[in-house]
Amino acid sequence: MQSLFSFCVLLFATLVSAISTTGDRLLVILDDVADKASYSKFLGDLESRGFNIAFETPKSETLSLFRLGERAYDHVLFLPCKSKGLGPNLTPNVLLQFINADGNILLTLSSGNATPSSLVSLLAELDIQLPIDRTGLVVDHFNYDAANAADLHDVLLLPPPGSVRPDVKDFFSAGTDASKEVLAFPRGVGVALGGGELLTPIVRAPRTAYSYNPKEQAEVVDEVFAAGEQLALVSAMQARNSARLTVVGSAEMLQDGWFDVEVKKVGGQAAKTFNREFAKRVSGWTFQEIGVLRVNWIEHHLNEAGASNESNPEIYRIKNDVTYTISLSEWSWSAWTAFKVPTNDLLQLEFSMLSPFHRLPLALDAAHSSPEAAAYTASFTVPDQHGIFNFKVNYKRPFLTNVEEKNTVSVRHMAHDEWPRSYAISGAWPWIAGIAATITGWLGFCALWMYSAPTDKKKESKKTQ
Amino acid sequence: MRFLQPFASALLLLAAGTAQAASSWGFDEGSVSVAAKKGSEAVREKINQKTPLSKPVELGSADALKVILTAKDNGKAKRPHQAFVVLKDQESGLEAPFLFTVKESGKAVAQISQKDIPVQLLLSTKPLKASVVIASFGSAQGLNTPVFDVSIKLDANAPPPSYEKPLRYGQKEEIRHTFKAGPQSPPKVISLFFVLAVLATVPALLVSWVLLGGNVDHLTKAIGAAPLSHASFFGSIVAMEFVFFLYYTSWNLFQVVPVIVVVGVVTVFSGTKALGEVQTRRLAGEL
Repeated sequence: MQSLFSFCVLLFATLVSAISTTGDRLLVILDDVADKASYSKFLGDLESRGFNIAFETPKSETLSLFRLGERAYDHVLFLPCKSKGLGPNLTPNVLLQFINADGNILLTLSSGNATPSSLVSLLAELDIQLPIDRTGLVVDHFNYDAANAADLHDVLLLPPPGSVRPDVKDFFSAGTDASKEVLAFPRGVGVALGGGELLTPIVRAPRTAYSYNPKEQAEVVDEVFAAGEQLALVSAMQARNSARLTVVGSAEMLQDGWFDVEVKKVGGQAAKTFNREFAKRVSGWTFQEIGVLRVNWIEHHLNEAGASNESNPEIYRIKNDVTYTISLSEWSWSAWTAFKVPTNDLLQLEFSMLSPFHRLPLALDAAHSSPEAAAYTASFTVPDQHGIFNFKVNYKRPFLTNVEEKNTVSVRHMAHDEWPRSYAISGAWPWIAGIAATITGWLGFCALWMYSAPTDKKKESKKTQ
Repeated sequence: MRFLQPFASALLLLAAGTAQAASSWGFDEGSVSVAAKKGSEAVREKINQKTPLSKPVELGSADALKVILTAKDNGKAKRPHQAFVVLKDQESGLEAPFLFTVKESGKAVAQISQKDIPVQLLLSTKPLKASVVIASFGSAQGLNTPVFDVSIKLDANAPPPSYEKPLRYGQKEEIRHTFKAGPQSPPKVISLFFVLAVLATVPALLVSWVLLGGNVDHLTKAIGAAPLSHASFFGSIVAMEFVFFLYYTSWNLFQVVPVIVVVGVVTVFSGTKALGEVQTRRLAGEL
C-alpha cells in the first residue's frame, strides 16, 4: 500500500516538474515590467520549456523569495535594474539563504547600469569580483562586431565556448558547425573569479580584451581591472548543495535583437549569432535542466566462489573479495538518461577508514545498465585492517551536481576457524610430531607403570636390606 | 643616383599605403632596457614590431625592465586607448598584462620588476613571451605582436616564491592498498628433518626403557586380578587422547566437553580399582 502511494507521489512529481528537476516556479526581477518585451524570445523559450514565470520589480512590496519559511520560487532571474539597491526583500543575506535552500539564480549584468549593491555584495560573498565602481565595459579591438560596433568595439564576437578542461563535460559548445557560429557579447561587464573550486568560467574573454570604466577612462586606460582570459564574461557557481548561480556579463545578449542575427567579424566574414541556443543552455544549466545527476541504487556484495550472495551486508571480513556497483542517471532537458562519465574523467570509488585505503576507478557495467541508468562497478579485496569502513563515491565535477555517497560497513578480523589448519603449514609439522611423540610416550609410560614386572630381585633385596 | 633615393622610399611608402587600405597601429623608436635598481648601467636593446629579439632579456630579482616606444597610427604618433605589454607563460598559456603610461604624443613607457609579475609566471621554466598590444577605437587595425622574451632570474639567496595550486574538482590519484606480507614457513626439508628428529625420540625412549629393564610382564596378572577395571582404565586413557584428536580435527568444544566428562568419570572410577590393584602388587614387593 505504502509503495503504491509513494509510486503515485513519484508519478505526480514527475508530471509536475516535467522540465527542471527542482521546480518550475521562476521569478524574473526587472526594473519595469514593460522591459520584458525586449526579452520576449528568451522568456518565451523558458515558458515553452514549462516554466511558470512571475514578474516583479525590486520595489514591489509583495515580493518575497520565501513564504512561511519555504521557498516561494525555485529559480530567480535578475535582469538589469537601474536602482542602486534592491530593497529589503532582496538583500544579499536573503539571496544567500535562497541559494542555501537549493534555489537557483541567473544573474545578468549590464555596462549601462551600475550593478545594484545587493548583487555586488552577493557576488563578493561568492568570491566573484566586479569591476571597481560597480561598472565596467569589456572591449576588444581585435574581435568586435564590425557591423554594429565598428567604432566603439564594445560588441564582442566570441567563438562558441568549448570545454573548460579536457575532463569536464561540455554543455555549452556549438552544435554541428562551430566555425560559422559566433557568440555576440554586447556591452557587457566582465568579472574576475576567485580561486575557489565552486567557480567555473563558461565564457572567458579573448586574450586581447580588457575591461575599463567608460566614464573615467575614456581617453586611455591607466589602470586595468582585468584583461584577457582572466576576465570571465559568463561564469558559473555551483554551491555544495548543488544550487546554481550563473553570472551573465551582458544582459543584452539575451535580448531579441541579438538572437539569430547576422553579425560581421573584423575580417569581414558574416556569421550568425549563437546567442539563442547559448541562452537556452545557460538558463537550462542554471535552472537544473541539464547536468543533474541522480543515484538510483548502490549495491555491494561478496565476490567469492561459494560465498552467500547477500546484497549490502553490514559486515565483511578482512581480505574478502567484494564487488560494488552504483547506478547513475543524468537529467537531460526532459528525461533521465544513462550518465556517461566524460572521456578523460573517472568515476572513483574510495574504500576508506579516515583516509582511503583503496581508490579505484569504477567501470561501466553494461549488464546492469539501461537507457535511463548506467551502472558502474568495481571489484577489489578488502584491506587487511579491521574497523569501520565506508564505500565512498565522491563525484564532484564542474557543471554536474554533486554526488557524495557513503555506505558504512564493518570489517572484522579473521575468526579462529577461518585460518589455515596447522597441518597445512609446513613450519608446524615438528610441533605436531612433538605432540604425537608425547602422546605415545605417555601411553607407554602408563603401561610401564602398571604392568612392568621386577626383573632384578637382587637389587631389590639389597635395597630392602 | 643619390637624388633618386628619397623618391624611391616615397614610392615604397605609397605602395605600402595602398596595400594596406585600412589604417593600422604600430610603434616606432622602441627599446627594452634592464637596469639594476641602484643606477648601474642599463642593458638596452632596440625592438621593432616586425622581428622579435632573438635573445631573451634577463630580469634579475632587483632589476627593473623598461619598455619604451612611440605608438603610431599609420605612421603618425598618436595615443592609443589600449597599450599593453603582455607577458605569457609558454607552457601554461597564462598571461599577465602590464600597462604602458602613454603621453598625448604617443610616447609610452612600461616598467616591470619581479614583484609585479604573478608567482605563476615567475616559476615558469621557459622564458616568458612578451608581446606588445596597441589598439584603439575606430577602424584602425590593432597591433598584437611578440617583441622579446624575458627570462626570469630568481634571487638565489632568497627562498623561491611558493605557490599552491588551487583546488579543482577532478579525478584523484588511484590508490591500491598494500597488503602486509603473509606469514612464511621455512623450507619443507628443514621441517621434515626436525619431524624425523622428534619422532626418533619415541623409539629411543622405548629402547632405553627396555634396556633399563622395563617390561609388561605383569599384564596377564593385572588383567587376571581386575580385568574390567584395568581394561576400562587403560581404555579410558586412550579414549581421552582420541577425544583430543577429534577436537583437533573436527569437533568443537561443546561436543568435546560432555565426552570428556564421561571418559573422565570412567577414568576416576576404574582408576581407583586398577591403581589399587597396582598398589597391592607394590606392597607385595612385586613392583
